Amino acid sequence: MTQGMLALPRFLARLPADRLFVVVTRATALVAIVLVLSLLSPHFFTFQNLMNVLRQASLQFILSAGLTLVILTGGIDLSVGAVLGLSACLGASLIVSGHVALGIAAALAAGLACGLANGMLVTQLRIPAFIATYGMLWIAHGLTYVFMKGEVIHGFDKGFRFIGAGHVGPIPAPVIAAAILLGLLYVLLHHTRLGRGIYAIGGNPVAARLSGMPVNRYLITVYALSGVLAAFAGLVVIARVNAADPGTGEELLLAAIAAVCLGGTSLFGGQGGIGGTIVGSLILALVINGMNLLNVSTFWQAGGMGLIVLVSVFADQVGGRRVNAAVHHRGGKP
Amino acid sequence: MNQLKSRRRVLAAGAAALGSVLLAPAALGQTAGQKPLRLVVFTKNLTNPFWNAVRVGADKAGKDLGVTIEHAAPTKPDNIEEQTRQVEDWIVRKPDGFVFVPVDYKALVPTIQKVNKAGIPIVVFNNRMTDVEQVTYVGSDDETIGYEITRHLIQAMGGKGKIIHIDGVPAAITAQNRKKGFERALKEFPQVELLASQPGNYRRLPAVQVFENLMQRFPQIDGVFCANDDMAVGVAEALEAAGRGGKTKVVGIDAIPDGAAAILSGKMLASADFSGHDQAYLAVTAMVRHLRGERVPKEIALPVVIVDRQNAKTWTMPVAEKPVPQWAKVVAAQKN
Repeated sequence: MTQGMLALPRFLARLPADRLFVVVTRATALVAIVLVLSLLSPHFFTFQNLMNVLRQASLQFILSAGLTLVILTGGIDLSVGAVLGLSACLGASLIVSGHVALGIAAALAAGLACGLANGMLVTQLRIPAFIATYGMLWIAHGLTYVFMKGEVIHGFDKGFRFIGAGHVGPIPAPVIAAAILLGLLYVLLHHTRLGRGIYAIGGNPVAARLSGMPVNRYLITVYALSGVLAAFAGLVVIARVNAADPGTGEELLLAAIAAVCLGGTSLFGGQGGIGGTIVGSLILALVINGMNLLNVSTFWQAGGMGLIVLVSVFADQVGGRRVNAAVHHRGGKP
Repeated sequence: MNQLKSRRRVLAAGAAALGSVLLAPAALGQTAGQKPLRLVVFTKNLTNPFWNAVRVGADKAGKDLGVTIEHAAPTKPDNIEEQTRQVEDWIVRKPDGFVFVPVDYKALVPTIQKVNKAGIPIVVFNNRMTDVEQVTYVGSDDETIGYEITRHLIQAMGGKGKIIHIDGVPAAITAQNRKKGFERALKEFPQVELLASQPGNYRRLPAVQVFENLMQRFPQIDGVFCANDDMAVGVAEALEAAGRGGKTKVVGIDAIPDGAAAILSGKMLASADFSGHDQAYLAVTAMVRHLRGERVPKEIALPVVIVDRQNAKTWTMPVAEKPVPQWAKVVAAQKN
């Protein structure tokens, strides 16, 4: 019991000062948002609404989870939204004609193929991730347009819709999916060789290579995972809204990156983690929920969202540096 | 030598015969010896089924009138810069006519003035443009459609109750005009209370999430106006998922096939259509008639059709099977 209670402070004490800063600010921000919204709206702090926020955050998390791994390696995957759309549409076309299992398999396979292609472009052809995945973004969009010809696929099997719209007791199914995914990715990042590799590559790719790490293989695996998880997110999305159209996923890329940044994972790689992305996804969902409940003017919402992302990243840069400098000055552990 | 000549003659005759067979369908309805007219039809994006219906309608008119239809649409949906580039490219390719919808009615004005300068005739449809020369404008307008469907909703609510507005992309002129129409209708019914107006960006997923949030705050919602059907279907799904289906009347705009299906199953009350399919068919027809020297009305207004349980069946069928509008009938119905 005492061991368990001591685990958290010990974990925090092991963190370098600037990471500690990130964890503390995010926790504070989350608590502050919840407090403020509870004060401003009597409808906010209800079980129903919290479940509602959790469900929306889960969807965000599932999409941002794979991206987190990529960003931890110091890369980026701009194709997540487009790959989500392509996989969702391919899957939907089979699912709607009754082949649920085949549809799910096709969607995941499409995501895997796009992810593998991204990984190969980055490692074998040495194309910068930003460019390679940006190219993949357009290829995936293009294929989706060709495949769908401007049509919408709608009306899926009840069983399939469970993953997006179902409940287990009072808990929405996507929340459970997100929780399982969080657990798996946490273990992957902190208890496997691949996980250590991801942090090492993000921290210093040259050193990682020199130490004999199979850097290319790790990178390909990470991009492939990102593709598969985007496809999975796509399935959850279409199960939730009961339709797939060629624009599915188009608007999701920026929010996916925002959730990772808000979670305190550094865009330069090597720092952060999957737990942060949960927090980031929650902050995003809470802010949108709050703006809806408070009926904030339509015109302010996009700007408000952007501002929050900028402030959080800026706070890390300035705040983290200050804290680090202060610790160094005292001669403490960096 | 002689043999060669005759063989050549046979070949030429064969080629001519083959050519006339190949060209015959295209030559129907136009004077012989001319190559078929080539029109370029612009749409706003490749994602919304509304614009797919537009392309299908245009293709049908092209086939019926024996003209070649080419399509141009930005790959980034509703992207001003990309559409500007596409127009500039097409000016260079000199089609016989532009059948055009601006992704932004103001931003595209200078670009369309270049089309005017190049002497290529242009028919504008769906979104009105000012300060450009045009053969005609074909369309309804977003304010009217917003007004008509809101009135239909409120009348179904018995003229009173609590209502929510789910907006499109706030910056889009279509969304602004639909909202204007919504507000105009709302003013006529003082017993209707507007609970909230929130953006769903014309997309299903954001609309679902926004509406889920709003349901937390408002235990009683009598009516929902959505700026398009994609969002309306999403809202209907969200109500259903929350076990509140049937208590709230939902309306949208565009009458897309799954919107029509939702209306038939009772999840949605109604939608409104200013048929993209018909608009495009008539716009292409107007252009062809103009190019063949016939008179075309300055403006071709299409009536707004309310799609409800009675007539929704027609809208569930694929656009390819939709009946095409009759030019003479539509022109006779015009005021000018």
